[in-house]
Amino acid sequence: MFASFDFDVIWRTLPYLFLEGMRFTLMLTVLATVGGVILGTLLALMRLSGIKALSWIAAGYSNILRSLPLVLVIFWFYFLIPYIGQWITGASRPMAVGAFTSALVTFTLFEAAYFSEIMRAGIQSIPRGQQSAGYALGLTYWQNMRYVVLPQAFRNMLPVLLTQTIILFQDTSLVYVLSITDFLGAASKVAQRDGRLVEMYLFAAVVYFAISFALSRLVKRLQARTAIAR
Amino acid sequence: MIEIKNVHKFYGAIQVLKGCTTTVSKGEVVVVCGPSGSGKSTLIKTVNGLEPFQAGDIVLDGISLKDPKTDLPKLRVRAGMVFQNFELFPHLRVIDNLCLAQEKALGRTRAEAEAKGRQLIERVGLSAHIDKFPGQLSGGQQQRVAIARALAMDPIVMLFDEPTSALDPEMVTEVLDVMVELAKSGMTMMVVTHEMGFARKVADRVIFMDRGEIVEDARKEDFFGKPRSERAQMFLSKILQH
Repeated sequence: MFASFDFDVIWRTLPYLFLEGMRFTLMLTVLATVGGVILGTLLALMRLSGIKALSWIAAGYSNILRSLPLVLVIFWFYFLIPYIGQWITGASRPMAVGAFTSALVTFTLFEAAYFSEIMRAGIQSIPRGQQSAGYALGLTYWQNMRYVVLPQAFRNMLPVLLTQTIILFQDTSLVYVLSITDFLGAASKVAQRDGRLVEMYLFAAVVYFAISFALSRLVKRLQARTAIAR
Repeated sequence: MIEIKNVHKFYGAIQVLKGCTTTVSKGEVVVVCGPSGSGKSTLIKTVNGLEPFQAGDIVLDGISLKDPKTDLPKLRVRAGMVFQNFELFPHLRVIDNLCLAQEKALGRTRAEAEAKGRQLIERVGLSAHIDKFPGQLSGGQQQRVAIARALAMDPIVMLFDEPTSALDPEMVTEVLDVMVELAKSGMTMMVVTHEMGFARKVADRVIFMDRGEIVEDARKEDFFGKPRSERAQMFLSKILQH
C-alpha cells in the first residue's frame, strides 16, 4: 500500500525540518519552560504569602489563564503585544514584535499559570517545621525559600514539571496559527508544496511521539531516583 | 536573659496562653513540663518569635519581641532551637546543614563555618557521619546533628521543644547525654520535656503548665519534693508511676 508513497521527500527535506523547524520548537519549549517556572514560582510564593492582595492577584492570574484556550491566548497576544509595547514605550506606532518573541511571551505567561499550581503544591508538600527550622536559625524569608524550601519543592515536583514540559513541547505546534515555521509548520509546508501530505504528517507524528515518549521514560527514571529519603 | 511577661496568645477564639510570666537567667536550666495541650510548646516557640502572641511581651537578651523595630532574624540567631522532629534539611549533607545559616545569617566564610561545624559535630560524637545525608542517620543521630547545628550559631540560650519525644526509647539516652553535657558546660537552657530524669539531674527550676497557665514555677528540689498545686501533684504521680 506504500507503493505510491514517496518517503524520500523526508530525506530530502530533513535539514530544513530539523535545523529550522525543530530548532524553533525546542528553543520555544526550553525558553518558555525556564521563563514559566521562574514566573510560576513567583506566583506560587505570592499565592502562599498570606498577604491577601498578592494571593488574590496570583490566584486570579492562574485561574483566568487556565480557563482560556491556548489558541485564543496565542492570537490575543500576537495582536495585543505590539500595542502594549507601544503603550509602555510611548511610541507613536505599534511596536514591531517578531513572531518568535510573541510566541515566547505567550507561552511563558500561559505556562506560568500551570507551573505556579505545580510549585504551589511542591511548596506545600514541605513540612512547616522546615521553615520554622530555617527561621529559628536566623534565615530571612527569602533565604529560607532560596536555600531550604524551594530546592526541596523543585526536587519533589521535578517529574510533574517535566511532564508539563512534554505537554508544552506538543502545544508549541499551535503556533501554526501565526504561520510560524516550527517543526509541524515546516513539515506542513513541505507537505503542501510537494503534495506529500500523508508522508509528512506521518513522519511528524512519529517524531513527536519518539521525543515525547523518550522524555516520559526519563521522567519515570527521575521519579525513582530523586525521591528524598526522610 | 529571657523575660516572659504576661503573655497571652489566641488561635482564633481559643486562648492557648493565659498570662504566662517567668524568667530564665544566665546559666540557668529550666524544664517546662505539663500534660499535652497545656501550651508548653507554644510558649517556647513564642520566645524566639516563631509563634506570635497578642498581648504581653518577651524580652530576649534585652531586646523586646513586641517592638516592631526588632530585627527578628537577627534576634533568633541568639536563641538556638531544637525541634521535636529534628527538622534537619534533608537535601543537604550534615556538614552543609551546619554551615548554611552560619554563612547566610552570620556571614561567616565557608572555611570558618566548616571549622566550627566539624568541631561541634565532634562534640556530639558524629564526625564519621559528616558527609552523609540526614536520611541516612538514625533519629538519635539526627537530633544530635540538630543540636550541633543550633550550637554552630553561638547562641546565648538554647530552646528545646520536646527533643526526645519522637525518638525510639533506645535513642533517648544519647540525646539526653548531649544535653546534660551542654547544661554542665554552663549553657542557658529552656527545655520542654517529659524526661523527669533529665530534670532531676540538671534542671535548676521546673515550670509546670496546664491549660495555658503556668501553674507551678519552682526550684527543682521543691517541685519534686512537694509541689504546691494539686494539678502538678497529679501529673507527677501519673508520669512517675513507672
